[in-house]
Parts: sequence; structure tokens; C-alpha cells
Amino acid sequence: MKIAHTGLMLIVAGWLALTATGTAATIEGRVTLPKTSGTTVVNRRYEIVSSGGVVSTNPPVAVVYLDGDFPPAQATPAVQVGQKDLRFVPQLLVVQAGTRVEFPNLDNTFHNIFSYSPAKRFDLGRYRMDEKPVPAVMFDTPGVVVLRCEIHEHMRGVILVLATPHFTITDTEGNYRLDGLPAGTYRLKTWLDSRTTQERKVELGANTLLRLDLP
Amino acid sequence: MRLPFASGFTAEAARFQWRLLGVLALVVLVPATIVLLVARHNMTREEEHRRETEFQVSLALLRNVQQNRHAALVERCKSLATKSRIQAALEDNAEDLLYLSARDELRDLLAAAPDTAARAGESRRTARFYRFLDAKGRLLVPEKGAAAGELAPAEEDKLSLAALPDQPRLGYLALRPADHEAELFEMIVIPIFSTESGRKLAALVLGFEPLRLAGIPGGNALVNGIWLESRAHMAAAGPGSSPEFGRNLAAALATTGGPGEGRHYFSADHESWLVFSQRLDADGVYAPAYEVCAFPLGSMLERQRTLTWQIIGAGAAVMLLGLVLSYFLSYRLSVPVERLAHDSEVQRTMRAEAEAALETTSAELDRTARFSANASHQLKTPVAVMRAGLETLQARGTLGEADSHELEALIHQTYRISSVIEDLLLLSRMDAGRLRLDLTAVSLSDLIASALDDLSALAGDQELKVEQDCPPDLHIAGEKRYTALIVQNLLENARKYNRPGGSIRITARENAGGVSLTIGNTALRPIPADVRAHIFERFHRGAQGENVPGYGLGLNLARELARLHGGDLLLVRSDEAWTEFAVSFRSAPRMEGVPA
Repeated sequence: MKIAHTGLMLIVAGWLALTATGTAATIEGRVTLPKTSGTTVVNRRYEIVSSGGVVSTNPPVAVVYLDGDFPPAQATPAVQVGQKDLRFVPQLLVVQAGTRVEFPNLDNTFHNIFSYSPAKRFDLGRYRMDEKPVPAVMFDTPGVVVLRCEIHEHMRGVILVLATPHFTITDTEGNYRLDGLPAGTYRLKTWLDSRTTQERKVELGANTLLRLDLP
Repeated sequence: MRLPFASGFTAEAARFQWRLLGVLALVVLVPATIVLLVARHNMTREEEHRRETEFQVSLALLRNVQQNRHAALVERCKSLATKSRIQAALEDNAEDLLYLSARDELRDLLAAAPDTAARAGESRRTARFYRFLDAKGRLLVPEKGAAAGELAPAEEDKLSLAALPDQPRLGYLALRPADHEAELFEMIVIPIFSTESGRKLAALVLGFEPLRLAGIPGGNALVNGIWLESRAHMAAAGPGSSPEFGRNLAAALATTGGPGEGRHYFSADHESWLVFSQRLDADGVYAPAYEVCAFPLGSMLERQRTLTWQIIGAGAAVMLLGLVLSYFLSYRLSVPVERLAHDSEVQRTMRAEAEAALETTSAELDRTARFSANASHQLKTPVAVMRAGLETLQARGTLGEADSHELEALIHQTYRISSVIEDLLLLSRMDAGRLRLDLTAVSLSDLIASALDDLSALAGDQELKVEQDCPPDLHIAGEKRYTALIVQNLLENARKYNRPGGSIRITARENAGGVSLTIGNTALRPIPADVRAHIFERFHRGAQGENVPGYGLGLNLARELARLHGGDLLLVRSDEAWTEFAVSFRSAPRMEGVPA
């Protein structure tokens, strides 16, 4: 319920932003994703995998975002990464720096969420489902934060902390669409995994629709 | 009895005794030596085998403990390696948090410091330090306060590996913990894999005090330790802890190209050592290490010496016994030999003497006989000349009756002389062994008859009565001339020493041995006992025969001839009334009784 509410809030915020500027541009296209290994996953769920210290998703998805000199987030609402059925939900979360993320325990067991990632090191300690207040962490440094559970060694989650509010996650086909972008010259970045981020320069005019296949 | 040759002979016997002794000594010594050698060999082998077994058993025990520890640690560390924090530290570029994360997990592993470990069993599982190696085998230096066990930085570098093993591995390192002397550590290297990708992330290296052989029943003198990089790290206590021992052991092992597996011998500290060695860390990641176990051979050598002395003592006792026995034996054996040698020597001497005497005698006899023969021949001729002269004188008939009668007597005397000379000749030939008999069958009755004829011719006025009892077909083996002479002489004696009107009895009988002829006569007087022994001697005449013609050769000649014929002549009776001689002959074989 809360997630839905938050999502609605985001959409409303985005819409408000678009209408406020009135000059919103859109980029859409398709990211050529790395070949998926293994069977085709029918549903759209994916997992965080690390291979050789490189964290990516399986099946591969990409995060496309517009890198620029944006002001830090002002009172962005908290988002949540829950632990459900011994998994992080969602497994890949993209937030703007300065976003507070809550980690509610939705399982009927203890979890101990921590991260040793340089972007954000934290350790929430053990907590139960009904832990109040919901353990939360403020992510204010851009970077990849790998989420782990001290108790459940297999659990992996990734929070990609970005300095921009303009980002989206492609579907498993690689399709993306970024709406409500401000006009100007920016770097459009594509995060494929924790080690691979591609970028290209984009020039956005007002009310333009840029069709861009990446890379 | 000591003979002149006795000294030379006893020397021979002594030599024999010594030789016998020598052989007996050899018979004792050789088996004793063989027994000694075999016993020594067996003892050495048994001892070594026992030592080796002890070593192997102890080593197996050690390995068992080692494996247990290894297995427990590996299990422990495997679970540790899967810990989220460790994995996170390794995977999420948080190496600075690695030791901190491991600290809690490994705290109990390091908990009991070796000096404070109350129980030995506890310390076996207690690591002295641990370190992480990264995926390339490089050491990850711990943070300050990581409590990973202190090591001097230079020593830490020794932990690095060229490549991480795929399996937990053993290894030995001589390290110098901070502010300590160099120590030997048993290392366990456990690779850490990513729980997610299975990739080799790092390795955990744990340093333990090496397990030492324990419970070897070799006694306190036993020295054991670990051989690593041309150095022996011996147990702290015991004779092997001296630096000299270590140096010597190192030198001894170096000459054989390192310890290898097996046994070695060497000397150090004036002591011989038997050293067993076996590789401790199969597939070790560091320099190969060997468990080295040195057994002093002193006690064994001591026991060997004791055994040697015992055997030598026993050998000596046996030897002594053998000596005594051999002495008695040789004495017992040599006595008959000695006697035999002695006897044979005596006999040889006696024979030599006898031979020499015989030769002398024979030569003398020869000379005598030759002399007799010569003398007889020389005498015969003058006698014959004399008789011829006398007969010529008689034949002239120029002499008066008285002179003629005298001449007659003289002629008779020449006959007597001739007869004596004949007899002497015969005797001398017999003495010289030159008389060859031509034996034929001779009829005894013929002989007697012939002799009686002659006798009757001579009987003269005596008027003797002759009784004869002789089987007519009795034959004796002999030469007629000489047997006739025997009978003739006896009959003549019977006539001569007879009383006037006496009788002569002739009896011939065949018996088992041959033929016995007895000639008896009525005696003039008995032959005295002391004379009887001498009547057969040459030129002997009984005292009674002074006025009896004769010259004392008859009986001697008869006896010699009888003996020459394989018989004998004996006086069988001589008393007041009767004198009787018995002559024995060999009887002639019937078939050849008459010569062809």
C-alpha cells in the first residue's frame, strides 16, 4: 500500500515538474543489453548477481540516467527496499542522492541488512518484521551500494545512488523512456553493471522527443 | 717306561694334542662367531624395526591429530568464508573491513594464547595468528587492532603465495613473531570462494604451533623435530635441542640430499643416532617439511655390547669347556695312539736289533758252518791218506800179530774219524741251511729192517733181544738217507747203552700228527735229571758213556734231522730199567707214497 502510494506520489511529482517547466523533453530508445546467460526469465523479476566483484542483474537490465548539474534532492520522500521471502524487493533500486531508504522486514524471521560498499557503509543490526521505526538509511553519496543480509548470505540487493533525479530502469528487453527532462546539454549515462557505465552527450531542446538507441 | 726315543715321540704326541685342540677350538669358535653375528644383526634389525614402528605409530597418531585439527579448522573456516561480512569485505571493495569482520568470527580461534592455554588439547586448536591473502595470493595487511596475531612485517610477507590452492592445504613456515625468536609454525591455508559466483576470492592462512610427536615410547633420549629449509627445529627439551645437534643433523641430512623419506644414521654429541624422517605436509604450499625423529643408538649399542660380551663370555665358557674336553679327549685319543706309537717304536727297535743280531748270528753261523765244512774237508783227506797208509802197512803183512792187531785198531779209528767228519759235515751243512731235503715217501719198516741189519752186524757179543712192532705199510715223508741216519743213530744208541743180554723194543705207530717211532732199550743206568737236558747237545756224552764208543754227535744229529723233517726227537723215558726215545715224522701222503 505504501509503495503504491509512494509511486503515485512520484508520478504526481514528475508530472508537476513537467508541467511546471513546460519545456519537458523526452528520450526514449533501446539499450543493447548484455547477452543473458541461462534461460529466459518469463516474468520481469531479476536478481542481483556479482561476478568478479561486478554487480549486475540477471536477467540484465540497465539504468539510464541523465547526468548533469542538478540540485540535490529536497525532501524527497523515503523509498523502501523490503525483505520478502528472503529476497530484497526490489532488488535494484535507483535513488537520487539524499534519498532516505527504509528497509522493512516483511519476513517472519530476523534480517540484518548491512553494506560494506564504499558509497555507503551501514549495518542495521538484527531486526524483526514489526521493528519500529522501520530501519532506514540516508544515501547521500552517489555510487553503488550492495545490500547484504548478515544472516542470509545469499541475499543481494543493489541501490544505485545517483546525483540526478532523471533516471529509469529499462525493461529486460532494454526499452527505456525518460520523460520530463530539462532542455540543455547533458551526459546520458547507461549503467550496465557496477563496473560498466556508458555515457554520451545529448542535447535536449524543449518539448523534443529524442529517439536514442544505446550504446 | 722311558725309552731313548721317548722324547721325540712325546713331542709328536703333543703336536697331535695341539692340533686336536686347535680343531676343537675352531669347532667352538666358528659357531660362536656366527651366533654372535647373527644375534647382533637380528638385534639391530629388530631394534630398528621397533624404532621405526614406534616412529610410524607416533607419526600416524600425529597425523591423526593433525588431520582432525585440519578437518575441524577447514570446516570452521569454510563456514567463516561464507559469512556475509567476509564475503562483503572481499567482494565489495571493503578490504579494510576484512580483519574487523573476521575478528568476531575468529575470536575464539585465537582466544587462548598459547602460554595461557591451560590444556594442551586446547592449544592444539588455537591459532597463533591468521592472515588473509587476496585472490592473487598477496598478503592483506591487517588493520591496527585487528587482533589477527602479531607478526613482524618482514615475516608477514613470507605468507604470500604465488597462487591460491583450490583445497585447504598444510604448510610449515619458520617465522619470527614480533619480538620473538624464530619459531616454526604449522600453517593451514584455506581458500575462500564466493558464495555467489564460486570464484576464488581469497585465502585464510592460519598459523599454529606445530604438533609434536608425542607418546613415543622411545624414552627421554628420543629427539624429534621438524626439518624445514635445511634446518632442524627440534623440540625444546632433550639432548637434541643443542645447536650442535641441530647443525650435525642438518649436515648429516644435507649429505644425503635432504631428509627424504626413510632412515639415516649419523653421529653427534658423541652419540650415534638413528633418524627417521617423513614428509609432513603432503602437497604443502610452503617449503617441504619433514618430521624428523632421532633415536639415540647408545642404549642399543650398549645392549649390543652387553650381548656381545655375553656371547663372548658364553663362547669363552664353551671354549674353556671345549678346551678341557678336548684336552681329555685328546688325551684319551692320544694315549692309545701314543701307546701304539710307543709299541711300534719298541717293536721296530727290537726288530732292528733282532735283525742285526740275526745278521750277526747268520754271519757267524755261516762262518762257523763254512769253517766246519772246510775243517771237515781238510780233515777227510789226511784221514783217508792215513787209513790208506795203515791199510798198506797191514797188507804188507810184515808186522807181527800184536802190531797187526794194533794196526787193525788204528784203521778202525780212522773209520771212526771219518764217520765223525761225515757227521760234522752234515751238521755244518744243516747249520748253514744248505741241506736241501728231497722228500719222498719212505717205508719205515724198510728203514728199520735195514738199520737192524747193520746193527746185527755190529752187535758183536752183546746178545741183545730185539722186539719189533711196526706196521709194514707205514710210510713217512723224508729223504731216505737222513731218515735212515736217524733210525740208525737211535738203534746204535740203544745198542751201545744197553746192558748185556738186554733188549731193544721198536714200536711204530701212525697217529693224528704223523708217525711216531719209539725205540726203547734196557738201560745200563738212568740218565741223571740234570744231564737229560743236555743229551741232545753236540759233543755231549753222558757220564756213563766213558767206556762206550761214540763221540756225542749222534743224538744231536738225529734230533736236527728229525726237526728238519718236520718232526722231533724226544727222550720219553729214562729210569733204572729202561731208556726210551721217541721220534716223530710226518706221514707221507698215501697216493704219492711211492715216487713215480
